[in-house]
Amino acid sequence: MSTMTINGRPATLPDDPDALLVDVIRDDLGLTGTKLVCGAGVCGACTVLVDGAPVVSCLMPARAAANTAVTTVEGIGATDLHPVQKAFMAHDALQCGFCTPGFVVEAAVFCDAWRKDKGTAIPSREEIGAALSGHLCRCGAYDGIFNAVAAACAGQFDGIEFASPRVEARAKVTGSAKYTVDIRHDGQQEGVILRSRFPHSRITELDLSPARAIPGVSAAVSLLGDDRIVRFVGDPIAAVAAKDRKTAEAAIAAIRMNAERLPSVIGLDAARDPGSPVVFEKSSRRKAGNVSEGTPAPAAWNGNVRGPSSAFSQKARKARNWVAAAREQQNPWLVEETFRTGTQSHSCLEPHATVARFDGDRLTVHASTQSVFHLMELIAKRYRLGHDKVRVIADHVGGGFGSKGTLGIETTAAIDLAREARAPVRIAYDRHEEMSVTGYRPATELKIALLPSGQGGLKALSLTAYADTGAATNSTLAALARLIYPAEAKELVDYDVISNLPPGAPFRGPGGPPMAFALEQAIDEAALRMKLDPIALRQRWDPNPNRQRLYDWAAGLDLWRNRPTARAQTGRYRRGVGVAAGYWLYIWQPGVKIELKVESGRLVASTATQDIGQGSRTVIANTVAHEFGLEPHDVDVRIGDSDLPEGPGAGGSRSTASVIPPTLLAAQKLKDAIEQHAKRKPVPGSNAPWREMIAASPDLAVASVRPEDSRPAAPDIRSPMKDAGFIGMIFGWMLRRFSNLAVGAGVPSSVQVIEVEVDTWLGHVRVLSVHTGIAVGRIAAPALARSQATGSVIQGLGYALYEARETDSRSGNVLSAGMEDYRIPGIADTPALSVHFDEAGFDHVLGGSVGIGEVATVPTSPALANAIHNATGVRLTEIPIRPDRLISALKGRTAA
Amino acid sequence: MTAAMTATAQRAEFRAAGTDLSERRRSGVSRGPLIDLSATPDTIGVTWAADGAATIGALTSIAAIGADPRIAAAYPGIAAAASGLATPQVRHLATLGGNLAQRSRCWYFRDPHIACLRKGGSDCPARTGNHLYSVAFDLGPCVAPHPSTMAAALLAYDARIITSQRPGISIGELLGDGSNATSDHALAPDEMIRGVELSAPLPGERALYKRAISRSHAEWPLVEVCARAVVTSDTFQFIRLTAGGVAPVPLRLAACETALQGKAANATAIAEAARLARSGANPLPMTGYKLDLLEGVVRDVLERLLEKVG
Repeated sequence: MSTMTINGRPATLPDDPDALLVDVIRDDLGLTGTKLVCGAGVCGACTVLVDGAPVVSCLMPARAAANTAVTTVEGIGATDLHPVQKAFMAHDALQCGFCTPGFVVEAAVFCDAWRKDKGTAIPSREEIGAALSGHLCRCGAYDGIFNAVAAACAGQFDGIEFASPRVEARAKVTGSAKYTVDIRHDGQQEGVILRSRFPHSRITELDLSPARAIPGVSAAVSLLGDDRIVRFVGDPIAAVAAKDRKTAEAAIAAIRMNAERLPSVIGLDAARDPGSPVVFEKSSRRKAGNVSEGTPAPAAWNGNVRGPSSAFSQKARKARNWVAAAREQQNPWLVEETFRTGTQSHSCLEPHATVARFDGDRLTVHASTQSVFHLMELIAKRYRLGHDKVRVIADHVGGGFGSKGTLGIETTAAIDLAREARAPVRIAYDRHEEMSVTGYRPATELKIALLPSGQGGLKALSLTAYADTGAATNSTLAALARLIYPAEAKELVDYDVISNLPPGAPFRGPGGPPMAFALEQAIDEAALRMKLDPIALRQRWDPNPNRQRLYDWAAGLDLWRNRPTARAQTGRYRRGVGVAAGYWLYIWQPGVKIELKVESGRLVASTATQDIGQGSRTVIANTVAHEFGLEPHDVDVRIGDSDLPEGPGAGGSRSTASVIPPTLLAAQKLKDAIEQHAKRKPVPGSNAPWREMIAASPDLAVASVRPEDSRPAAPDIRSPMKDAGFIGMIFGWMLRRFSNLAVGAGVPSSVQVIEVEVDTWLGHVRVLSVHTGIAVGRIAAPALARSQATGSVIQGLGYALYEARETDSRSGNVLSAGMEDYRIPGIADTPALSVHFDEAGFDHVLGGSVGIGEVATVPTSPALANAIHNATGVRLTEIPIRPDRLISALKGRTAA
Repeated sequence: MTAAMTATAQRAEFRAAGTDLSERRRSGVSRGPLIDLSATPDTIGVTWAADGAATIGALTSIAAIGADPRIAAAYPGIAAAASGLATPQVRHLATLGGNLAQRSRCWYFRDPHIACLRKGGSDCPARTGNHLYSVAFDLGPCVAPHPSTMAAALLAYDARIITSQRPGISIGELLGDGSNATSDHALAPDEMIRGVELSAPLPGERALYKRAISRSHAEWPLVEVCARAVVTSDTFQFIRLTAGGVAPVPLRLAACETALQGKAANATAIAEAARLARSGANPLPMTGYKLDLLEGVVRDVLERLLEKVG
């Protein structure tokens, strides 16, 4: 038996030649700060030091650690925080925190070596980028990481006191933050799901008894629906729980099954063929997934094509006729183009995971979810349990981006297995599952026609969108073009194209980025043809007051005013600057309740929301602290538990606008209560009267519910749904009635100016800088708001340049189901980022703040494509703009 | 488990650091017995002969090769290749021998549920399927490019590979000509790589390594090139160009070399020679772009070699 030393203590290593160091560290030793994400050495979340060198513990055989000294994140700041840890906290170099321990371990070694060699010199971004190139952060916290590492190397965090803008940052930089995958109950079993290997089949026989017969197996359940049909590779068939993953996998392999292959169809082009095999017969259509956050409106089905959904059109026939006439007359201002966008995977670093445990008739579910409260409701409904019998907990969530908003198979299967096993069961998806069956932003084909009037107004817009939704429906892209750039007529048509691929899911601003990719390039093209500044044209065509202010800001940027002349460059490297605008809806969740207490002399704020990296803990802490003249760390925030008062889901950018107003009301109530109960008034002249009052106060509790907004004072701040007329009001009503989402007045907006350098030899795009102007009202937590904004931009850059889910068009297999084939941006791909927050426009919202996450990613891909056009004169109509596509476009060829 | 993949599944595999194998073990693509290699004095580290020639032990880590100042001085193309592949945390573990003997990165090969030639199947699903990252020089039944960056660089240096059974074989002998459908190398089942011998560098030679990728780091190369040159009196006295990422085995770009050997070293000559990099290519429907990239990378490294000389 061999041993290693880990964080200074001896530990034995297993004899199993296939045991990996990461599993020993996490499972045998319980050091869960080290995370398993990609399992391929790409993402760095599992990084530990072996004899001082950072290595990928997900690929290192445990055996190879014999007689070495291993240091995990828990050993980095064991006595005092390492300067890198303090710098990460102070510079908010993290969001969801799942990648953070890996970054911290690597950065600490880099920093120590740097200090030894170079004293307090500051490393360049290139040096930091190269050193951390083996780490990925899906939230896109890279800008903060650059700043943190540079500051730590410069010695700015040697033994100093500092403030962290994010209240839970310490737990995340030390690895003590527990995520769902880290939960370990006594007797906990590991669940694994048997999935379809065929794109379409009927399971005629399913015999779980051979699985149950394997020693160590505690449960086996069928996951088949009543029709016993599986509709994509990876569709769940059955699940087993066993004492460990290896046993569960053996049990899965032992399940006896017969499948009758059914004809299948894969992807956007094949499924539009009227003769293609039908994925959902009429009776099974309700089994389709939903790629948007709202409930689907009725639409016609024609084979695998669902649509047209064209309710948001406005004088559609006129739009069509005017465009046709302009085409006939060869109107030079008519812009017509077909754009394509790729399939974007959420790629959450913490996989979808659930741990289910029954204590008698009470069910406790730890889940990696964007909605602890709503998930509790869904579980209670499905299992016919009272709300008091189900508790959903998510202390920390390693990213969601829209994919963790509903009741997923990982949860129902874990519950089913836990019930049968009479033991706690964990299901944590492996990376292949995470990258193939947990949803994605559907690929699209967008046909756009944009017709300026002879007087330079916007006469007609036609946009027809086909979305590659897989086994799901309800894409809303073209409809979103109704709420920006008013025209005399608009024809806006959406189609879902259903095929035997895993279902898409909502993803950060569902429909927004692909819609903007087409529309904002068409606007750019119109400006070029009309010989107008693209910002000036938007100022003319887009009356929204929030964006008007952002256009003024963008037009004043030196980068914009000094941008290169179009088509003027011929060298290998060409520089370009592009602009685009975007919006998202201001959504809040009715019924959200904040409880505010004085408990043992401290303030405690509670609500059943969760922090998936967006920063709601901090937003609540800051809001309460501000009201009482205290510091955020003077407030305990309790979230992540459905037993708390109803809180909002973390989706639709709703969190901030849902929690701040009731928090402010509750703060006022609590102040009144404290004063009522106060035995004596604070010392006159005290700088912190409330601190004394609270410390002396008996335990008190108040609660407030999210109020309706007041009527906006300015007439041009309106509800975008009301602006869209009757149909908009219907949709607004439906969202509130069926999805418990209210669309408020005012439009969160973003305008981005992006500078690129194109290497015309290697088809490579280097993004030099991104200036992002954002109007989402008052900023509740400035450092975190900046992190979220820059993270959204970085995700948008990934969408524009790198990210594409690749599938096999015959078998329906997802080929890019790992982090090396599905390419998210790395730290060295991060441009210089500046964020301008315009804080006006939402005074009708108590507190004045709305959400950032979605609007900030909408304009990125078209702004980048417009910049490439400015640099090269070539319009890239398809994203991601990979080297193969760029080089083909530059050479005037069609890419494969 | 499909029958198609049991052929490789059962074969014993040597394991050095396991950075390639561990992933295939976890996914189930590799299921046979493992033989762990442990370092001996002759298989780890770099030894230098009196004439300046080096021998690198097969179990020397890629990071050690990349960080060795003598390697960087004598064989800058090898040092740059070592520093440019994978990620820092992989390079600390991964070994030179393991890099040469690693298996294909083709996504069809890496999926345990898909049969392919490399797993004993009867056809290549990439050839008729999604082969965006496959070869542009279609030399054999399997269309996956060889994954070894070190092999592409070592080919430029005419490295000799010492194995447990043979005293010194070429990269060509080690990896074959691409016609073998079932393996990524031509080692016998019980043959292991022990080290790599390099001749002393030529007087005055320069070298560069570069890969074309979509991001800035940490990505398998779309195209990679290693170039060595001796330039005197503005003339290419010696030129050696090799490419990876484009063929089932690393390629010598012989047509480019011929066009430059003994010729004027200037931007025009380089641009003309770079166009010849695609000589003999027969890209697949989705891989034509790799030839543009190949031309671009060749031109890039040669121009920068001249800058270094200047």
